[in-house]
This record gives sequence, structure tokens and C-alpha cells, in this order.
Amino acid sequence: MNNLNEKAQGKAMGLTACPSCNKLNEIKYLRCSRCDTLLLVRDTSSLQKSWALLITAAILLIPANIYPITMLTDRGRIRYDTIYTGITHLVQSDMFPIAIILFTASILVPLLKIVGLTIYLSAISFRLPISKKMLMVGFHIIEWIGRWSMLDLFVISITVALVNMGQLLDAKAAPAATAFALVILLTQMAAKVLDTRLLWDRLESKDDTN
Amino acid sequence: MERDCIDDCVILCRSCDLVVRKRALPSGARALCPRCDTVLYDTPYCSINGMLALCITALIFLAPANFLPILELHFFGSVRTTTIAEGAMAVSQQGYWIVGLSVMLTAVIAPALLILSILSQILIIKYQLHNAFFRNVLKRLLAYQSIISQLSMLEIYLISILVSVFNLSDFADIFLGMGTFCFSMLFIVTLFLQREYNLEHMWNMLDE
Ligand SMILES: [Zn+2]
Ligand SMILES: [Zn+2]
Repeated sequence: MNNLNEKAQGKAMGLTACPSCNKLNEIKYLRCSRCDTLLLVRDTSSLQKSWALLITAAILLIPANIYPITMLTDRGRIRYDTIYTGITHLVQSDMFPIAIILFTASILVPLLKIVGLTIYLSAISFRLPISKKMLMVGFHIIEWIGRWSMLDLFVISITVALVNMGQLLDAKAAPAATAFALVILLTQMAAKVLDTRLLWDRLESKDDTN
Repeated sequence: MERDCIDDCVILCRSCDLVVRKRALPSGARALCPRCDTVLYDTPYCSINGMLALCITALIFLAPANFLPILELHFFGSVRTTTIAEGAMAVSQQGYWIVGLSVMLTAVIAPALLILSILSQILIIKYQLHNAFFRNVLKRLLAYQSIISQLSMLEIYLISILVSVFNLSDFADIFLGMGTFCFSMLFIVTLFLQREYNLEHMWNMLDE
């Protein structure tokens, strides 16, 4: 079984897919025959880059959640809201569907993304015996849902532009907005730079059935 | 040599480097990697003329979607309107330029680039495929295609318009206008365009 899988790997057959256009090329060539992109059989440094981006994102997730993300002036009274208190206000004013959407996009997705990528990268770095198929499915889900975190920032930009009636009613963004934007950017990049083929190389010797 | 056929009958999985034999697919079906379930290829049903029509339609809606107000707010006699770009400017002016920049990039710049890029690709394939200069332009455009389409977040912006409507209607009157309609149309047309578009198939045009 092991032998067959080894053969099935493109690298072992002297073939590699172009990182840009996916055309099959022989490993001995430097550049892709169709689009001239530099061929890279495996991007081993991508693992470290991905870890660095992920750790920075995880650190920034803390200010993104403890500092206020919006400031609302309502008839002279100023109210600061973090991501979490903003959602609890929605629940209190009976807007459950909106609360659930924002909870998913702003709290659940970033958290799942960071936890998921940590598990994924650990599985490669420390050769954890986790089902590779499950890891890959999780990775594709992370790639797909990750962008939905932008929702909150869009809503903030629309609200800030519309609600500016001075002392009467006024909405402004607050410091956590920048931290949150960076969390989204860094986690998306962490998933983007990673060469996922590393997972299948490194765990090859473990259990092939997974 | 065996290598001659290998290009046509074998594909490498992008995610795990597995060698997979290519098979003919029924239309509408997608081939998944047997080991890691990544999409390998689907049936090339992208019609160049269909995409050209969608591109032109998208271009028609692009300007009004960006320059007409997407939302209008009435509060005790005062009226406020905003476009996507004005929303991005508003947060930038308060010092959160990273937020403003990412809104601008994902909701205005990337969607516009996406449509213009696909339009240029189609025009080159239709009329200038044998011109060396335009072939190079096409290669460049195709290389940037996946990053541009990942950055374009029209669908998320559309949902955030809805969320804002519900949020704000709690204490003010909210009106949707022509701009909201044009933006929704832009979203729908771009959605169909992206369903029709097949990057793998576009690259193959260069081989013919
Ligand atoms: Zn290539
Ligand atoms: Zn695979």
C-alpha cells in the first residue's frame, strides 16, 4: 500500500503541477512551459510563513475582542460596543437572526479559522496522527468561510457613513476595527501561502488509509 | 515516449500532489481528488460569447452600483445617503484607514478589476490570440485571476446591506434606491459570470 501511494505522488514520478496555471511539468525544468512561472515542487518555507502569520493573527484576536469596535452617541450619551456587547444588544432588542449572522461572521468564524489552522499546521509540523482527509476537508471549509468575517466591517462602514447627526445620533468606528481587519487579512494569508502538499508528504509514512 | 500522452490523460491534485487519471465527465459534474476531495476539474462549459454578454451587462451596472447611493436614512427630518466608497472614506477619515482600504479593495476595486479582466481575456481570445504581445497579457491576467476573484466580495457586501437595513430601521427610516437595485444586479450578473468562467479552460485556450 505504502509503495503504491509513493508512486502515486507526482513528485515521485518526476512531475509537478505549475503553481500558477496547474499545467503538468517535468521537475527537471525551471519554469512552466505554458506560463513561465517558476516551478516549485514543494514550498517548504511556506510552513514557517503560515505559522508566523497565524500566531500574529491569534495575538491580534485579543485586542479585536476586548477593545470597542464601535462608538455610538445617542442624544448626548456615549456608548462603546465591543464585538460581543454589540451582539448582546441585538439579542436584547429581539433581532435574533441578525445577531446569529453577526455572531457567526465575527466571533465563530475567526475563532474556528485560528483553531482549525493551528490543528492543521501542528499536524504537519509535529506529525500528529490525524486523518488527513478530515484535515483537508476542514482546510477547504476554512478557506471558504474565512472571507465572511468581512461582513462586520462592511456593516460598520455603512453605519458610520449614514449615522452622523452630531450630538443627536452619531456612530463612529473604534480601535478594535483595525485589529479585526488585520486578523482577517493575516488568517486569510496564512491559509493562502501554505503549500498543502506538505501534509501529504510528511504523513506518508504514518497510516495511508486515512 | 510515454511522456507525450501524460499531459492529456493525467492530472496532479493541487492540494496533495496525487497523480489522478483524467476521465470524460458528464456535463455539470465535477471530478474530486479520490484522496483529499479537492476539486480537480469540471466540465468546460464556459461559452466565450455567453461570458462576453454577461461581462457587458455587468459593466453597465458597475457605474450606477458604485456612484448611486446604496442606502438612504431619514432621521427627524435629516437625510443621509451613502455609496460603498463613501462608507470606506468615512471610516478612513476617522483614522481606521486599514478598515477603509479593505472595504474599498474587496467591494469596489476587486469586483471592477474582475469584470474588466475577464472582458479583456475574452476579447484577446476572440480576436488577438495569435499576437505575441496579447498572449503575454492574457497569461498575466490569468495568473492574477484567482487572487482577484478571492478578493471580490460582492455577496458578502449584499448581506451586509441587509444587516444594516435591519439594524438601522430600529431607530430611523431606511430607504433602498436605484443604487441598491443596481448593486444587486451587479452581484447577480457577476455570480453567473463566475459560474460560467473556468480558469483551467481559459489556460487551455493558450495551448490550442
Ligand atoms: Zn504554468
Ligand atoms: Zn488530492
